[in-house]
Amino acid sequence: MAVRVAQEWFAICGGCEVTILDVGEPLLDVLPELEFVHMPVIMDHKLYGQTGEQTAMEIPEADVGIISGGVRNEENRELAELMRSRVNTLIAMGSCASFGGVPALANQYVLEDLYERVYRGNSTTDAGATPSGDVPALLDRVYALHEVVNVDIHLPGCPTTPDMFVAALMHLLKGTPFAVAEKSVCDTCPTIREKKAVSTLKRPLESVEGVGEPLSQARCFMEQGFLCNGPATRAGCGGMDEGVPRCIRAYMPCRGCFGPLSLSANPMVDMMGALSTIGLDPKEIPDRAATFNRFAGAGRLQPKRVRG
Amino acid sequence: MAGDDFEPLIIVYTCYWCSYTAADLAGTSRIQYPPNIRIIRVQCSGMVHPNLVIDALTNGADGVLMCGCHEGDCHYREGNLRAKARADAISLMLEDFDLEPERYRLEWVAASEGPRFAEVVTEMVDRVKEVGPSPYG
Repeated sequence: MAVRVAQEWFAICGGCEVTILDVGEPLLDVLPELEFVHMPVIMDHKLYGQTGEQTAMEIPEADVGIISGGVRNEENRELAELMRSRVNTLIAMGSCASFGGVPALANQYVLEDLYERVYRGNSTTDAGATPSGDVPALLDRVYALHEVVNVDIHLPGCPTTPDMFVAALMHLLKGTPFAVAEKSVCDTCPTIREKKAVSTLKRPLESVEGVGEPLSQARCFMEQGFLCNGPATRAGCGGMDEGVPRCIRAYMPCRGCFGPLSLSANPMVDMMGALSTIGLDPKEIPDRAATFNRFAGAGRLQPKRVRG
Repeated sequence: MAGDDFEPLIIVYTCYWCSYTAADLAGTSRIQYPPNIRIIRVQCSGMVHPNLVIDALTNGADGVLMCGCHEGDCHYREGNLRAKARADAISLMLEDFDLEPERYRLEWVAASEGPRFAEVVTEMVDRVKEVGPSPYG
Protein backbone atom coordinates (compact mmCIF):
# COMPACT_ATOMS: atom_id res chain seq x y z
CA MET A 1 0.00 0.00 0.00
CA ALA A 2 1.30 3.41 -0.91
CA VAL A 3 2.50 5.76 1.80
CA ARG A 4 0.19 8.74 2.11
CA VAL A 5 1.96 12.11 2.13
CA ALA A 6 0.52 15.49 3.07
CA GLN A 7 2.49 18.68 2.49
CA GLU A 8 1.93 22.30 3.51
CA TRP A 9 3.95 25.49 3.11
CA PHE A 10 4.03 28.41 5.51
CA ALA A 11 6.41 31.39 5.58
CA ILE A 12 8.66 30.29 2.75
CA CYS A 13 9.85 31.21 -0.74
CA GLY A 14 8.91 27.88 -2.33
CA GLY A 15 12.49 26.74 -2.87
CA CYS A 16 12.04 23.59 -0.80
CA GLU A 17 9.08 22.56 -2.97
CA VAL A 18 11.34 23.03 -5.99
CA THR A 19 13.76 20.66 -4.27
CA ILE A 20 11.03 18.02 -4.22
CA LEU A 21 10.40 18.55 -7.93
CA ASP A 22 14.16 18.66 -8.53
CA VAL A 23 14.71 15.13 -7.22
CA GLY A 24 14.87 13.91 -10.80
CA GLU A 25 15.10 10.24 -11.70
CA PRO A 26 15.14 8.85 -8.14
CA LEU A 27 11.62 10.30 -7.85
CA LEU A 28 10.45 7.75 -10.45
CA ASP A 29 11.54 4.92 -8.14
CA VAL A 30 9.70 6.25 -5.11
CA LEU A 31 6.61 7.71 -6.78
CA PRO A 32 4.71 4.38 -7.05
CA GLU A 33 5.18 4.03 -3.29
CA LEU A 34 3.80 7.49 -2.55
CA GLU A 35 0.34 8.95 -2.65
CA PHE A 36 0.16 12.71 -2.21
CA VAL A 37 -3.14 13.52 -0.51
CA HIS A 38 -2.56 17.22 0.12
CA MET A 39 0.05 19.47 -1.45
CA PRO A 40 -0.96 23.01 -2.41
CA VAL A 41 2.07 23.59 -4.65
CA ILE A 42 1.24 20.84 -7.15
CA MET A 43 -2.34 19.77 -6.59
CA ASP A 44 -5.73 21.30 -6.15
CA HIS A 45 -6.88 20.22 -2.75
CA LYS A 46 -8.52 22.99 -0.82
CA LEU A 47 -8.49 23.32 2.96
CA TYR A 48 -12.19 24.25 3.21
CA GLY A 49 -13.38 21.64 0.69
CA GLN A 50 -13.27 21.97 -3.11
CA THR A 51 -16.23 24.34 -3.21
CA GLY A 52 -15.53 25.95 0.14
CA GLU A 53 -18.43 24.08 1.67
CA GLN A 54 -16.73 23.29 4.99
CA THR A 55 -16.56 25.57 7.98
CA ALA A 56 -13.26 24.22 9.37
CA MET A 57 -9.92 23.52 7.68
CA GLU A 58 -9.30 19.88 6.86
CA ILE A 59 -6.19 17.91 5.93
CA PRO A 60 -6.69 14.20 5.09
CA GLU A 61 -5.06 11.64 7.36
CA ALA A 62 -1.59 10.65 6.14
CA ASP A 63 1.43 8.62 7.15
CA VAL A 64 3.93 11.37 6.51
CA GLY A 65 3.45 15.13 6.86
CA ILE A 66 5.91 17.56 5.35
CA ILE A 67 5.88 21.21 6.36
CA SER A 68 8.15 23.83 4.88
CA GLY A 69 8.39 27.37 6.16
CA GLY A 70 8.35 29.00 9.56
CA VAL A 71 5.21 29.66 11.58
CA ARG A 72 4.44 33.33 10.97
CA ASN A 73 0.69 33.78 11.47
CA GLU A 74 -2.33 32.29 13.21
CA GLU A 75 -3.27 30.26 10.15
CA ASN A 76 0.19 28.67 10.03
CA ARG A 77 -0.09 27.72 13.69
CA GLU A 78 -3.56 26.23 13.29
CA LEU A 79 -2.48 24.28 10.21
CA ALA A 80 0.66 23.01 11.97
CA GLU A 81 -1.44 21.67 14.82
CA LEU A 82 -3.95 20.19 12.39
CA MET A 83 -1.20 18.54 10.35
CA ARG A 84 0.40 17.14 13.52
CA SER A 85 -2.91 15.56 14.51
CA ARG A 86 -3.38 13.97 11.05
CA VAL A 87 0.05 12.42 10.41
CA ASN A 88 2.27 9.83 12.07
CA THR A 89 5.62 11.31 11.11
CA LEU A 90 6.12 15.04 10.72
CA ILE A 91 9.06 16.35 8.69
CA ALA A 92 10.25 19.95 9.04
CA MET A 93 11.63 20.58 5.59
CA GLY A 94 14.23 23.28 5.05
CA SER A 95 15.83 25.83 7.34
CA CYS A 96 12.68 27.95 7.64
CA ALA A 97 10.69 25.12 9.19
CA SER A 98 13.69 23.93 11.21
CA PHE A 99 15.11 27.25 12.50
CA GLY A 100 12.90 30.08 11.19
CA GLY A 101 15.11 30.78 8.19
CA VAL A 102 15.48 34.15 6.50
CA PRO A 103 11.92 35.32 7.44
CA ALA A 104 12.94 34.99 11.10
CA LEU A 105 15.37 37.90 10.67
CA ALA A 106 12.23 39.91 11.37
CA ASN A 107 12.47 38.65 14.95
CA GLN A 108 15.02 41.37 15.60
CA TYR A 109 12.18 43.86 15.74
CA VAL A 110 8.98 44.06 17.70
CA LEU A 111 5.87 43.50 15.57
CA GLU A 112 4.61 47.08 15.84
CA ASP A 113 7.89 48.41 14.39
CA LEU A 114 7.64 45.96 11.50
CA TYR A 115 4.15 47.18 10.63
CA GLU A 116 5.31 50.75 10.85
CA ARG A 117 8.45 50.37 8.80
CA VAL A 118 7.37 47.86 6.14
CA TYR A 119 3.73 48.80 5.65
CA ARG A 120 2.54 52.08 7.15
CA GLY A 121 5.73 54.13 7.04
CA ASN A 122 6.84 53.09 3.56
CA SER A 123 7.00 56.19 1.34
CA THR A 124 5.69 54.38 -1.75
CA THR A 125 2.64 52.97 -0.02
CA ASP A 126 -0.67 54.57 0.77
CA ALA A 127 -1.22 52.94 4.09
CA GLY A 128 -4.67 51.72 4.98
CA ALA A 129 -5.88 50.38 8.27
CA THR A 130 -4.42 47.07 9.47
CA PRO A 131 -6.81 44.40 8.19
CA SER A 132 -8.50 42.48 10.95
CA GLY A 133 -11.13 40.25 9.37
CA ASP A 134 -10.16 38.03 6.45
CA VAL A 135 -6.40 37.94 6.89
CA PRO A 136 -4.85 35.78 9.61
CA ALA A 137 -3.11 37.90 12.26
CA LEU A 138 0.69 37.73 12.49
CA LEU A 139 2.14 36.05 15.57
CA ASP A 140 4.46 38.14 17.75
CA ARG A 141 7.47 36.61 15.97
CA VAL A 142 8.41 33.89 13.48
CA TYR A 143 8.54 30.48 15.14
CA ALA A 144 10.40 27.39 14.04
CA LEU A 145 8.03 24.47 13.57
CA HIS A 146 9.39 22.54 16.57
CA GLU A 147 8.55 25.52 18.82
CA VAL A 148 4.87 24.98 17.96
CA VAL A 149 4.40 21.22 17.51
CA ASN A 150 6.53 18.09 17.93
CA VAL A 151 8.71 17.42 14.90
CA ASP A 152 10.10 13.98 14.11
CA ILE A 153 12.62 14.76 11.38
CA HIS A 154 14.47 17.96 10.54
CA LEU A 155 15.80 18.38 7.02
CA PRO A 156 17.91 21.54 7.17
CA GLY A 157 19.05 23.62 4.22
CA CYS A 158 18.03 26.62 2.18
CA PRO A 159 16.85 24.85 0.23
CA THR A 160 17.43 21.33 1.48
CA THR A 161 19.10 19.01 -1.04
CA PRO A 162 17.15 16.57 -3.22
CA ASP A 163 19.30 13.62 -2.09
CA MET A 164 18.69 14.41 1.58
CA PHE A 165 14.95 14.51 0.89
CA VAL A 166 15.10 11.19 -0.97
CA ALA A 167 17.24 9.62 1.76
CA ALA A 168 14.69 10.65 4.40
CA LEU A 169 11.83 9.26 2.30
CA MET A 170 13.63 5.97 1.65
CA HIS A 171 14.30 5.53 5.36
CA LEU A 172 10.65 6.19 6.11
CA LEU A 173 9.53 3.72 3.44
CA LYS A 174 11.84 1.06 4.88
CA GLY A 175 10.96 1.98 8.45
CA THR A 176 14.55 2.70 9.47
CA PRO A 177 15.50 5.74 11.57
CA PHE A 178 16.81 8.80 9.75
CA ALA A 179 18.97 11.62 11.09
CA VAL A 180 21.37 14.08 9.52
CA ALA A 181 24.91 13.64 10.88
CA GLU A 182 26.00 16.22 13.48
CA LYS A 183 29.06 17.38 11.62
CA SER A 184 30.03 20.93 10.82
CA VAL A 185 30.85 22.34 7.39
CA CYS A 186 34.45 22.66 8.61
CA ASP A 187 34.52 18.92 9.32
CA THR A 188 33.88 18.26 5.63
CA CYS A 189 35.92 21.17 4.24
CA PRO A 190 39.19 20.26 2.52
CA THR A 191 40.99 23.61 2.88
CA ILE A 192 44.12 24.03 5.00
CA ARG A 193 43.53 25.27 8.55
CA GLU A 194 46.31 26.51 10.81
CA LYS A 195 44.13 28.16 13.46
CA LYS A 196 45.59 31.57 12.77
CA ALA A 197 44.23 34.35 10.57
CA VAL A 198 46.68 35.66 7.99
CA SER A 199 44.70 38.83 7.32
CA THR A 200 42.30 41.25 8.92
CA LEU A 201 38.61 41.00 8.07
CA LYS A 202 37.86 41.37 4.35
CA ARG A 203 34.70 42.34 2.55
CA PRO A 204 32.94 39.52 0.68
CA LEU A 205 33.37 41.25 -2.69
CA GLU A 206 37.11 40.67 -2.53
CA SER A 207 38.26 37.46 -4.13
CA VAL A 208 39.33 34.41 -2.18
CA GLU A 209 42.97 33.47 -2.74
CA GLY A 210 43.61 30.14 -4.38
CA VAL A 211 40.71 30.15 -6.83
CA GLY A 212 41.46 27.58 -9.50
CA GLU A 213 43.90 25.63 -7.34
CA PRO A 214 42.68 22.38 -5.81
CA LEU A 215 40.78 23.18 -2.60
CA SER A 216 43.13 20.98 -0.61
CA GLN A 217 45.88 23.50 -1.34
CA ALA A 218 43.82 26.60 -0.52
CA ARG A 219 43.94 28.28 2.87
CA CYS A 220 40.83 28.25 5.06
CA PHE A 221 38.64 31.16 3.87
CA MET A 222 38.07 32.42 7.42
CA GLU A 223 41.82 32.50 8.04
CA GLN A 224 42.07 34.53 4.83
CA GLY A 225 39.79 37.07 6.52
CA PHE A 226 36.42 36.18 4.97
CA LEU A 227 33.47 35.55 7.24
CA CYS A 228 32.64 31.89 6.73
CA ASN A 229 29.86 30.34 8.80
CA GLY A 230 31.42 26.87 8.46
CA PRO A 231 32.36 26.33 12.13
CA ALA A 232 28.77 26.83 13.31
CA THR A 233 26.91 25.27 10.39
CA ARG A 234 25.77 21.71 9.88
CA ALA A 235 27.30 19.81 7.00
CA GLY A 236 25.03 18.20 4.43
CA CYS A 237 24.87 20.58 1.46
CA GLY A 238 27.60 18.53 -0.23
CA GLY A 239 25.30 15.51 -0.32
CA MET A 240 24.53 12.63 2.02
CA ASP A 241 27.96 11.08 1.35
CA GLU A 242 29.60 14.12 3.01
CA GLY A 243 30.98 15.67 -0.13
CA VAL A 244 32.67 19.07 -0.19
CA PRO A 245 30.19 21.78 0.90
CA ARG A 246 28.63 23.46 -2.13
CA CYS A 247 29.71 27.07 -1.56
CA ILE A 248 33.23 25.99 -0.61
CA ARG A 249 33.33 24.03 -3.89
CA ALA A 250 32.74 27.34 -5.67
CA TYR A 251 35.45 29.11 -3.57
CA MET A 252 32.83 31.03 -1.64
CA PRO A 253 32.61 31.20 2.17
CA CYS A 254 29.72 29.32 3.83
CA ARG A 255 26.62 31.44 4.48
CA GLY A 256 25.24 29.07 7.08
CA CYS A 257 22.10 27.97 5.25
CA PHE A 258 22.07 24.49 6.84
CA GLY A 259 21.62 26.09 10.25
CA PRO A 260 23.24 25.27 13.59
CA LEU A 261 24.56 21.85 14.56
CA SER A 262 21.91 21.36 17.22
CA LEU A 263 18.54 22.97 17.84
CA SER A 264 19.82 24.59 21.04
CA ALA A 265 23.06 26.00 19.58
CA ASN A 266 23.42 29.70 18.86
CA PRO A 267 25.54 30.23 15.72
CA MET A 268 26.36 33.82 16.68
CA VAL A 269 28.01 32.78 19.94
CA ASP A 270 29.93 29.97 18.25
CA MET A 271 31.03 32.19 15.36
CA MET A 272 32.13 35.07 17.59
CA GLY A 273 34.19 32.52 19.51
CA ALA A 274 35.64 30.96 16.39
CA LEU A 275 36.69 34.18 14.72
CA SER A 276 38.17 35.79 17.82
CA THR A 277 40.08 32.58 18.53
CA ILE A 278 41.96 32.75 15.22
CA GLY A 279 42.71 36.44 15.70
CA LEU A 280 40.04 38.32 13.74
CA ASP A 281 38.62 41.40 15.46
CA PRO A 282 35.05 40.70 16.64
CA LYS A 283 34.32 44.46 16.79
CA GLU A 284 34.61 44.71 13.01
CA ILE A 285 31.69 42.38 12.31
CA PRO A 286 28.79 44.29 10.82
CA ASP A 287 25.45 43.32 12.39
CA ARG A 288 26.73 40.15 14.05
CA ALA A 289 23.38 38.91 15.32
CA ALA A 290 21.79 38.85 11.86
CA THR A 291 24.95 37.89 9.95
CA PHE A 292 25.52 34.73 11.94
CA ASN A 293 21.87 33.88 12.55
CA ARG A 294 20.89 34.58 8.95
CA PHE A 295 19.06 31.25 8.69
CA ALA A 296 18.45 30.55 12.38
CA GLY A 297 16.68 33.56 13.83
CA ALA A 298 13.67 31.91 15.50
CA GLY A 299 14.24 31.77 19.23
CA ARG A 300 17.74 33.22 18.86
CA LEU A 301 17.42 36.84 17.75
CA GLN A 302 16.43 39.28 20.48
CA PRO A 303 13.84 41.88 19.54
CA LYS A 304 14.80 45.52 19.77
CA ARG A 305 12.74 48.63 19.29
CA VAL A 306 13.44 50.88 16.30
CA ARG A 307 13.41 54.62 16.94
CA GLY A 308 12.44 57.30 14.44
CA MET B 1 16.72 45.15 41.91
CA ALA B 2 19.80 44.78 44.06
CA GLY B 3 18.32 44.11 47.46
CA ASP B 4 20.59 43.67 50.48
CA ASP B 5 19.81 40.00 50.68
CA PHE B 6 20.79 39.23 47.08
CA GLU B 7 23.58 36.66 47.03
CA PRO B 8 24.93 36.29 43.48
CA LEU B 9 26.09 33.02 42.02
CA ILE B 10 29.36 33.47 40.19
CA ILE B 11 31.08 30.88 38.05
CA VAL B 12 34.87 31.16 38.15
CA TYR B 13 36.89 29.45 35.47
CA THR B 14 40.45 29.02 36.76
CA CYS B 15 43.35 27.56 34.85
CA TYR B 16 45.08 24.56 36.30
CA TRP B 17 48.57 26.05 36.27
CA CYS B 18 48.16 29.49 37.85
CA SER B 19 44.77 30.61 39.04
CA TYR B 20 43.53 27.36 40.56
CA THR B 21 46.76 27.16 42.53
CA ALA B 22 46.18 30.76 43.60
CA ALA B 23 42.69 29.82 44.82
CA ASP B 24 44.28 26.91 46.66
CA LEU B 25 46.84 29.24 48.20
CA ALA B 26 44.12 31.65 49.28
CA GLY B 27 42.47 28.71 51.04
CA THR B 28 45.55 27.32 52.76
CA SER B 29 46.51 30.86 53.81
CA ARG B 30 43.02 31.20 55.32
CA ILE B 31 42.27 34.39 53.44
CA GLN B 32 38.58 35.24 53.63
CA TYR B 33 36.51 35.89 50.54
CA PRO B 34 32.76 35.67 49.83
CA PRO B 35 31.33 32.16 49.35
CA ASN B 36 29.36 33.14 46.21
CA ILE B 37 31.75 31.56 43.73
CA ARG B 38 31.77 28.12 42.17
CA ILE B 39 35.18 27.32 40.78
CA ILE B 40 35.48 25.26 37.63
CA ARG B 41 39.04 24.20 37.00
CA VAL B 42 40.07 24.03 33.37
CA GLN B 43 43.39 23.10 31.89
CA CYS B 44 43.89 26.53 30.34
CA SER B 45 41.88 29.74 30.14
CA GLY B 46 42.29 29.39 26.37
CA MET B 47 39.95 26.40 26.31
CA VAL B 48 36.93 28.29 27.63
CA HIS B 49 34.93 29.11 24.53
CA PRO B 50 32.49 32.04 24.64
CA ASN B 51 29.49 29.71 24.50
CA LEU B 52 30.44 28.36 27.96
CA VAL B 53 30.33 31.89 29.34
CA ILE B 54 27.08 32.83 27.59
CA ASP B 55 25.48 29.50 28.55
CA ALA B 56 26.43 30.04 32.21
CA LEU B 57 24.99 33.55 32.20
CA THR B 58 21.76 32.55 30.48
CA ASN B 59 21.23 29.48 32.66
CA GLY B 60 21.30 30.86 36.17
CA ALA B 61 24.75 32.33 36.88
CA ASP B 62 24.79 36.03 37.82
CA GLY B 63 28.39 36.53 36.77
CA VAL B 64 31.37 34.78 35.21
CA LEU B 65 34.94 35.42 36.27
CA MET B 66 37.71 34.02 34.12
CA CYS B 67 41.16 33.67 35.65
CA GLY B 68 44.34 32.67 33.84
CA CYS B 69 48.11 33.06 33.96
CA HIS B 70 49.69 36.46 33.38
CA GLU B 71 50.55 37.23 29.77
CA GLY B 72 53.74 35.47 28.81
CA ASP B 73 53.35 32.93 31.63
CA CYS B 74 50.87 30.58 29.94
CA HIS B 75 51.86 26.96 30.35
CA TYR B 76 50.68 26.42 26.78
CA ARG B 77 52.43 29.62 25.62
CA GLU B 78 49.49 31.50 24.21
CA GLY B 79 46.30 30.03 25.65
CA ASN B 80 45.65 33.09 27.80
CA LEU B 81 46.07 35.34 24.75
CA ARG B 82 43.21 33.41 23.15
CA ALA B 83 41.15 33.98 26.27
CA LYS B 84 41.95 37.70 25.95
CA ALA B 85 40.95 37.76 22.27
CA ARG B 86 37.68 36.05 23.13
CA ALA B 87 36.99 38.48 25.97
CA ASP B 88 36.23 41.21 23.38
CA ALA B 89 33.78 38.93 21.62
CA ILE B 90 32.12 38.02 24.93
CA SER B 91 31.78 41.65 26.01
CA LEU B 92 30.11 42.50 22.70
CA MET B 93 27.69 39.61 23.01
CA LEU B 94 26.63 40.49 26.58
CA GLU B 95 24.83 43.42 24.98
CA ASP B 96 23.02 41.10 22.53
CA PHE B 97 21.75 39.04 25.44
CA ASP B 98 20.70 42.12 27.47
CA LEU B 99 23.36 41.48 30.12
CA GLU B 100 25.37 44.15 31.94
CA PRO B 101 29.12 44.33 31.15
CA GLU B 102 29.91 43.89 34.87
CA ARG B 103 28.79 40.27 34.69
CA TYR B 104 31.93 39.14 32.90
CA ARG B 105 35.51 39.80 33.90
CA LEU B 106 38.86 38.44 32.79
CA GLU B 107 41.74 38.61 35.28
CA TRP B 108 45.27 37.25 35.38
CA VAL B 109 46.14 35.63 38.73
CA ALA B 110 49.49 33.90 39.16
CA ALA B 111 50.01 30.82 41.32
CA SER B 112 51.68 32.88 44.04
CA GLU B 113 48.91 35.49 44.20
CA GLY B 114 46.54 33.97 46.76
CA PRO B 115 45.62 37.35 48.32
CA ARG B 116 45.01 38.78 44.84
CA PHE B 117 42.61 35.92 44.02
CA ALA B 118 40.61 36.74 47.16
CA GLU B 119 40.66 40.43 46.23
CA VAL B 120 39.47 39.82 42.64
CA VAL B 121 36.67 37.55 43.85
CA THR B 122 35.56 40.06 46.48
CA GLU B 123 35.48 42.85 43.90
CA MET B 124 33.57 40.70 41.42
CA VAL B 125 30.95 39.71 44.00
CA ASP B 126 30.50 43.35 45.07
CA ARG B 127 30.09 44.51 41.46
CA VAL B 128 27.55 41.83 40.60
CA LYS B 129 25.66 42.57 43.82
CA GLU B 130 25.33 46.13 42.57
CA VAL B 131 23.92 45.19 39.16
CA GLY B 132 21.52 42.67 40.71
CA PRO B 133 20.29 39.20 39.73
CA SER B 134 20.66 37.94 36.18
CA PRO B 135 17.55 38.60 34.06
CA TYR B 136 17.70 34.92 33.10
CA GLY B 137 17.23 33.90 36.76
